[in-house]
Amino acid sequence: MVPLENYLVLSAILFSLGVYGVLARRNAVLILMSVELMLNAVSLNFVAFAAYLDPDKITGAIFAIFVITVAAAEVGLALAIVIRLFRNRATSNVDEAATMKW
Amino acid sequence: MNPEYSWLLAAIPAAMFFVIAFAGRYLPRGGDYLGVAATGASFVLFFALLPDFLDVFDAEAHVLAVAGSIEWSTIGDFELRMGVFVDPVTVVMFAVVTTVALMVNIFSIGYMKGEPRYYWFFAVLQLFVASMLMLVMADNLLLLYISWELVGVCSFLLIGFYWEKRSATEAAKKAFITTRVGDVGLLIGILVFWKETNTFNIQEIIHMAEGGQISETYLFVGSICMFLGAMGKSAQVPFHVWLPDAMEGPTPVSALIHAATMVVAGVYLTARMLPVFAVADHMLLIITIVGLTTALLTSAIAFAQTDIKKVLAYSTVGKLGLMFVALGSGSVTAAMFLLMTHAFVKALLFLGSGSVILGTHHNQEMDKLGGIWKKMPITGTTFFVATLALAGLPPLAMFWSEDELFAAAKDEWGLWALALAMLAVFATGIFMVRLFIRTFTGQPRDPHVYEHTRETPAVMTGPLVFLCVLSVLSGLVVFHGVGTALGFPGGISEFVFQHEPHRYEIDWALAIPSVLVALAGVAIGAFVYWGNDLRRSTALANAQPRAYDLIRNKFYFDEAYQYVIDRGVLGFSYLTSWFDRYVVNDTGVNGSAEVTGYAGSVLKLFQTGRLPNYAMAIAVGVIGLALAGLWLRG
Repeated sequence: MVPLENYLVLSAILFSLGVYGVLARRNAVLILMSVELMLNAVSLNFVAFAAYLDPDKITGAIFAIFVITVAAAEVGLALAIVIRLFRNRATSNVDEAATMKW
Repeated sequence: MNPEYSWLLAAIPAAMFFVIAFAGRYLPRGGDYLGVAATGASFVLFFALLPDFLDVFDAEAHVLAVAGSIEWSTIGDFELRMGVFVDPVTVVMFAVVTTVALMVNIFSIGYMKGEPRYYWFFAVLQLFVASMLMLVMADNLLLLYISWELVGVCSFLLIGFYWEKRSATEAAKKAFITTRVGDVGLLIGILVFWKETNTFNIQEIIHMAEGGQISETYLFVGSICMFLGAMGKSAQVPFHVWLPDAMEGPTPVSALIHAATMVVAGVYLTARMLPVFAVADHMLLIITIVGLTTALLTSAIAFAQTDIKKVLAYSTVGKLGLMFVALGSGSVTAAMFLLMTHAFVKALLFLGSGSVILGTHHNQEMDKLGGIWKKMPITGTTFFVATLALAGLPPLAMFWSEDELFAAAKDEWGLWALALAMLAVFATGIFMVRLFIRTFTGQPRDPHVYEHTRETPAVMTGPLVFLCVLSVLSGLVVFHGVGTALGFPGGISEFVFQHEPHRYEIDWALAIPSVLVALAGVAIGAFVYWGNDLRRSTALANAQPRAYDLIRNKFYFDEAYQYVIDRGVLGFSYLTSWFDRYVVNDTGVNGSAEVTGYAGSVLKLFQTGRLPNYAMAIAVGVIGLALAGLWLRG
């Protein structure tokens, strides 16, 4: 059987890729995709822990389902904002949307 | 009618105050008849209540008072009751206040004719009468204090009635502030007694003080503080400076407030609290000394005044001093008797001077008057009677009351107090005769003024005649026969007393010197100023220039106060204003605002509005927290 550490390392790599994407990318859609990557890394962690440590093997899976639901809602909202941004500024570059300051 | 209903006496003028104050300007003649009707109603009602009070009153069985009260509020287990307390002292005050108020109201119709704010004058007069009546029937110190301040406000409003004149507003402020200094003492005294007895009710406080339930220190401190209030209101040295300046007010106001009623509130308070003061150490001696000092000092000042009203004002202060001497000698009888006769005589003198002022077209300087007796026969004659009455000649009113005072002072303190009190009466004789001669007799000093002088209308001379009758006859109530004929249990000493009633008998050993002293005063005054001739008095002033200078400048009291205010009060207020400006305002208030503003102007730069910056901050923060967690776990 694949040891637990393998899943955790894979999850950490996915999460780090997501963080890098959020920090490095300027396109709003790509940032959203990176956020999804981070969420999925977390879901993977949940499922792995559930399979290996939880006697019922169910709690982590339910958490994963919740995370997917929240992610779907978040993307729905965030994409709507991106569309409005694109309509107004004709770009999806987040550097262009920097007027919310002093 | 039940004597408990005596609150109606105050309620009627109080209601009329609101009517005249709000509707007076739309009524014909400013609603002055409403004022006369209100005080007239109180006057009549008093005589309706008096027989019923006398039915209840029984000196033998020690039923001396009628009291009634209602619950005002309850705080925890402390119940505050407000009510009326009518005893012989209150009855005397009722008689004085209602009589003089009615006369002054009638007189004012003539005197204030054509003045601006005519209706307002009558409105405040009603408020004053209501507050004064409330003051003398209050059964607890809280209600007394409220009325005390109300009469002070009325005094302020009426002194400053001609507020277009700067001197009038200054005098009003001076009167208010000077009495306030004493009033703070009164308030502290009331609170001290409340702390010790847990009640505001005057009779309960007296009962506990006589039972020795108040510790000596508190008793003395409370008594001194309350007496300070009385000194302020009754213009005793060193608070006497406000009363002569208060003569800036209309003359009827001087008669009612600053001679007959409000200024005797201090005497009333001391008479009311006398059983308490008598238990406190040395309190009676202090009261006597204050009274004697005031009587002598102000009598001296009155010699050199040339304004009619100022002379009368100083004489009022002096007579108030004698009332305090009576109280210090433990004689409520003498004090209240003196208060009553003085109220009638002095009200007559002030109204008489008002008549002179109006009759000579606003002249109140002796240097411009003289010889107007022929032109103003009624005013002159009543003024003459009042002058002799105030000088203490028998059988006029003040002779009998001063006789009571002399007897009390001699019994309590011995010959020194008697001699000093007689000296004050002697001085009164001199300056009152001087006032009369220089105003009414001899050659006119200013022919122009003399030419236009005429007698005042009946609405003004009527009250003069009425008060003149009282000034002659009111002293006779000292006799048992007169008192019983009027329905009282006896003479005034059998009606108003502190411990035991006593029947008045003429003590010739005292009466003869008293008559001689009064006669000597009048004779010397007449000799020096006979025929309105100033040669003798000028020679006297030139012989003692420094003494004359001293009394001419009123012993420099005003200058001393001004110096203290300039150096002490203004110096201290300069310091506090510096502290307020530079420490509180510039450093405290503006400083904290500037620090916040500067911090904001720096910190706002962190808000770039750029998403990557925020994302980076979140990432760094999370990593930092994770590292910190690891490090803490070790």
